[in-house]
Amino acid sequence: MLHWDRITVLIRKEWLELRRSRGLLLSTFVPPLILPLFALGLIFAMGLVSDPDTAEIPAAAIDPALAGLGLEALAQVIFGRQFSTLFLLLPMVIPNVLASYSIVGEKNRRTLEPLLAAPISVGDLLLGKVLAAIIPGIALTWLCALLFAAGLGFVAIDPVVPGLVLHPGWIVMLLLASPLLALIAVALTVMVSARVNDPRSAQQIAGVLIVPVMLLFFGQMLGLFVLDPAVALLFSLVLALVAVGLLWLATQAFQREKILTRWR
Amino acid sequence: MNAIECHRLTRHFDRLVAVADLDLAIPAGTIFGFLGPNGAGKTTTVRMLCALIAPSSGTARVAGFDVQTQAAAVRAVTGILTETPGLYDTLSALENLTFFARLYGLSATQAAERAAHYLRLFELWERRNDPVGGFSKGMRQKLAIARALLHDPAVVFLDEPTAGLDPAAARAVRDVIKTLRAGGRTIFLTTHNLAEADELCDLIGVFRTRLISLDTPANLRARLFGQSVRVVLAGPAAPLAPLVQQLPFVSGVDAEERVLLVRLANPDQHNPALVRALVAAGADVCYLEPFTPSLETVYLELMQEAVTVDSAS
Repeated sequence: MLHWDRITVLIRKEWLELRRSRGLLLSTFVPPLILPLFALGLIFAMGLVSDPDTAEIPAAAIDPALAGLGLEALAQVIFGRQFSTLFLLLPMVIPNVLASYSIVGEKNRRTLEPLLAAPISVGDLLLGKVLAAIIPGIALTWLCALLFAAGLGFVAIDPVVPGLVLHPGWIVMLLLASPLLALIAVALTVMVSARVNDPRSAQQIAGVLIVPVMLLFFGQMLGLFVLDPAVALLFSLVLALVAVGLLWLATQAFQREKILTRWR
Repeated sequence: MNAIECHRLTRHFDRLVAVADLDLAIPAGTIFGFLGPNGAGKTTTVRMLCALIAPSSGTARVAGFDVQTQAAAVRAVTGILTETPGLYDTLSALENLTFFARLYGLSATQAAERAAHYLRLFELWERRNDPVGGFSKGMRQKLAIARALLHDPAVVFLDEPTAGLDPAAARAVRDVIKTLRAGGRTIFLTTHNLAEADELCDLIGVFRTRLISLDTPANLRARLFGQSVRVVLAGPAAPLAPLVQQLPFVSGVDAEERVLLVRLANPDQHNPALVRALVAAGADVCYLEPFTPSLETVYLELMQEAVTVDSAS
């Protein structure tokens, strides 16, 4: 049984610590906000150049919805779709950084033992830490995506461009895959935290997380698939299975006895 | 009623035996001193009794709750001061305490009241809103002790509570510990400060993987040293030791420079005969006084015995 009162107390503490760590706060939350601006700038630039090779890009060839678009609009759609995929990195990177500082940080400062001595179950403790890390990550991802979506109307050379970039598959990915990727990131961070003594090491080891997003990025670019709702749902289903497996492994690593006697 | 009971409590880490067959019965309202060298298994014992790690075998009950089957209840009725204070540096003293109070199930109002009480008690109230990262070692220690007491635990485990404190702060902490005992709480005190243990503890357990001895400080002294007198001479004591040893009422004698330490059954009855024998042998007796060995002496003697026994076995 979960004790939400204690989980809430823990989340508040985590966020209070985050607010007081100005360096971590700025380095974690400011760079993601640059991503939509950078993407919009590049999409705007794509609309200024007419390149006949654009039509030869595999991603343009396999999606019939792109037929009939002008070269500039086509370039905007293709690059817009590629960049929109990169938003999926945010729900992994931000929770990964927050969770590594939270868990490895507690381990380094030796604050875990008093915490574990309190009458809070390790399930509540882990859930509190997971939620404290993923909620800001998902919220910031959605905020950046919203900025991107809002700005797209201003930089699009053709009114159909926003609808083709912000396609249903991308929205499914954003709403379904983002939280799952965040969960995977935190679960992996918890497991890595048992072995390392530096938050940055935990972040680097968990760098493997970008692999699924890079698969999506290059898969789309090479025209291997179109990220329609069916592909997005299938991808989310795979992520859900991975998330469940990794969370189970994380709960095995995050046990009082193991933390106190095996974590180094 | 016993606040802590262990029966053959044992903990292995792979092949290493950290705690072996520990039997304890500590009455409620007692200050129990748990003494032993570094690496003796004291922290492992405390962790088992706080339901943080499980025993390999044996049983333990704390405040009536089984550490294995009622672990959450054990954690709710125990307070622990760990080896390092383990405080959140970026949070203020007040925020640290209220966080833990809430975690122990206190309401927001209760948490604020308890935190204020202990911050005042430990003279940290004026610094309540300052980040703990800027606190001195002593202030951090006091705050960590306050954290252990916030939820009014029946049993408090304190690991070196006065380490790093200045004499006045250490005195304040010792006074708080005595107050806790007066309030019926049981204190499990792990310390290397034997003078402190001597002052505070009702019961002493000397421990090195296994329990070497468990008794009151007075009984430990009596058992090891009996009744002793210290005879201060004008000249060297060593030549007189064999003579004293031969006296029928003397059970042991040690000589060091100008001092004879003589163990005898009844000092009031035998001191005159002892002085007469020394004077007859030509000694100049300056004075004679009862000898109470320090707890440190008792501890070192017990440790030496344990090492001898372990070596022999």
